[in-house]
Amino acid sequence: MITTYLFYLLSFLAIMFALMVVFSKNPIHSVLYLVLAFFTIAGHYVLLNAQFLAAVHIIVYAGAIMVLFLFVIMLLNLNKETEPHKSVWLKASAAVASGSLLVVLVGSLKGAAGIQSAKTFDASIGLIENLGQTLFNDFLLPFEVSSILLLSAMVGAVMLGKKSIK
Amino acid sequence: MKALILLSSLGVIALLAEIFSFKKLLYPIVLLGLITTFVLNMFDWDTNKLYFKMMQFDNYAVAFTAVILVVAFLWFIMAEGFFKEESNLTDHFALVLFALVGAVMMVSYTNMAMLFLGIEILSIPMYILAGSNKTDVSSNEAAFKYLIMGAFATGFLLFGIALVYGATGSFDLSEIAAAVSGGTALSSIFYVGVLLMLVGMAFKVSAAPFHFWAPDVYQGAPTVVTAFMATIVKTAAFAAFLRLFSTTFSGVSETWMQTVWVMAALTLLVGNITAVMQTSTKRMLAYSSVAHAGYMLLALLAANNYSNSAILYYASAYSIGSIATFAIVNIISDAKNSDGVDAFNGLSKTNPMLAIVMTIALLSLAGIPPTAGFFAKYFIFTSAFMAGNIGLVLIAIIASLIGVYYYFRLIIAMYFKESDGQTIAVESNHKIVLVIIAIAIVALGLFPDYIIGLL
Amino acid sequence: MLLAVQSTPLDFLPIALMFVVALGFVVIMLFLTHQLGPKKKSKVKLETFECGIEVQGNARLPFSIKYFLVAILFVLFDVEVIFMYPWAVNFKQLGLIGFVEMLTFVGFLLVGFYYILKKGALKWE
Repeated sequence: MITTYLFYLLSFLAIMFALMVVFSKNPIHSVLYLVLAFFTIAGHYVLLNAQFLAAVHIIVYAGAIMVLFLFVIMLLNLNKETEPHKSVWLKASAAVASGSLLVVLVGSLKGAAGIQSAKTFDASIGLIENLGQTLFNDFLLPFEVSSILLLSAMVGAVMLGKKSIK
Repeated sequence: MKALILLSSLGVIALLAEIFSFKKLLYPIVLLGLITTFVLNMFDWDTNKLYFKMMQFDNYAVAFTAVILVVAFLWFIMAEGFFKEESNLTDHFALVLFALVGAVMMVSYTNMAMLFLGIEILSIPMYILAGSNKTDVSSNEAAFKYLIMGAFATGFLLFGIALVYGATGSFDLSEIAAAVSGGTALSSIFYVGVLLMLVGMAFKVSAAPFHFWAPDVYQGAPTVVTAFMATIVKTAAFAAFLRLFSTTFSGVSETWMQTVWVMAALTLLVGNITAVMQTSTKRMLAYSSVAHAGYMLLALLAANNYSNSAILYYASAYSIGSIATFAIVNIISDAKNSDGVDAFNGLSKTNPMLAIVMTIALLSLAGIPPTAGFFAKYFIFTSAFMAGNIGLVLIAIIASLIGVYYYFRLIIAMYFKESDGQTIAVESNHKIVLVIIAIAIVALGLFPDYIIGLL
Repeated sequence: MLLAVQSTPLDFLPIALMFVVALGFVVIMLFLTHQLGPKKKSKVKLETFECGIEVQGNARLPFSIKYFLVAILFVLFDVEVIFMYPWAVNFKQLGLIGFVEMLTFVGFLLVGFYYILKKGALKWE
């Protein structure tokens, strides 16, 4: 039962930090709240018994990618504190669009409550051994192809980030 | 699969070209590689091989791969100048080839993981290439907008995939299809997942109301990159869209049919009407490309055994026509430093060859017989008509009439306006390819059965 | 096919506890130093100290892109290494085929690494 309480605590924290990301004025604070949000999500992964995912989430997302975010913010000129003004129409339409998405999601999740069952769920599915077995047998092709994805990102970073001398 | 391996190895070779200093040889190597890939790909015809339960090279995949490779070949020839800039030459080659790998994955996937990876492998090089003109602010803007909007759309797609997985317990298209038609009630999150995936795919094909990125990105990116986006990316995205929705999600068609109906109507009207108001040819072609997505959505909506071949034919006719128009816009805007409609004034006197090819390509895009574009629209309308979407066909016909107006504005500028008298020098290989394209457009229009009978 | 459950979320309680203790230690120490330390607020005390030289401008200067390039390349190779953990755990079961699989994957990225080196992307100029 302790996991149920933990779940609610982590969910509360995750949503709170996510809201703080959006509402804080200073972009650096936003990034730091995002790091906290990622930590709480990693906690969720642990609760789901996907420990490897939790560790990766902290190493890659909270660690590496958030550092990149900070770098991007530092590349910008933060001395000017002007936030581009958005028209009322834009704000209203954004609110309507995201509000309807929320309604649809909440509605569908409410409808799903009775149907979902845990009969086929195997608690060991998220462990690293099983993950490796699936990744290197069933999902071999996507794994190999993802090297192309990393490679093209590498080329792109070098091409755009490097001053072209010569 | 052969195409996938060959194209990835070509990309790696391109990366190594600078280090082992065979840069000069790279261009012929890539062209030869594309031809080899095309030939090897055709060997997969009728074999219907399934690789690792991840990719299926059925005739649908082979045909779309072939179209993509042919268009890529033409693109490489017309974009030769893009590969002359010394310092980034190998990067451009590698990125384009990797993008082609993604395109091949998108036409042949049988697993959601492959769909996602394919879209990403196609998109990331495009984000980078859109910004490849580093000193140009509008190119930077294009890359930035494309990246942000594209990442957002991918987020929707991934969320959709996650919900579909949650409801069916599988990433495999056939297993999902089995769960859909299995008779047991699907969880309600499945339907939300389908709609979210629809949003993600609609963004990639730039269907209204998810088209807002297209004009800015198409205009800001270097013209050759725009040509790639308007042809190969769009073809691959539509092939992926159709593969998913016409087979896997056909069992729940009542969930998405209405939405796609509205999207198709909106795309047709918004694309064509906004295109009329543009003065920049690149921006006009961008809106026209949005509009063409609308026509292809018609066939998607029809979802009968006719629509696969209709989309294949439409995609090839549209891609070939677009390659020609973008190539000529590129030549003209390079020479005159302007991509406005005025830049085309009197082209028939200074460069009659360019004017004729441009006219044929524009007639094809407008859908005037006997060009390929006419039959493309004809097949699309027939398949929509057979599916009973008469209202949508009417909208599409009105939209194509509007389309004729803005395509003809360019033709009129070329033939009936005074030129400033300077003849534009065109490289001979461009001339040859443009003539071949013009012949191909007419030939496809005269003998449509060769493609329409394939699938 | 799936291995039996070897660990449950509750096994991670000690780690969570360690997190709490580590965080608590930092918070308490910061709080205590603020409370216990002497406070003398004067204009000179509050100024940023920079080797005795007077402060010029402020710290929020745009940052060189070079750092970013290194960082993004780090992330890419970081992701590559992440794939190796599930492979290493299953190394024996996957056998030679698994080894070849990983070799292909790493081979592709090694080409990328070689390319980065040759392009001089890691040189600081």
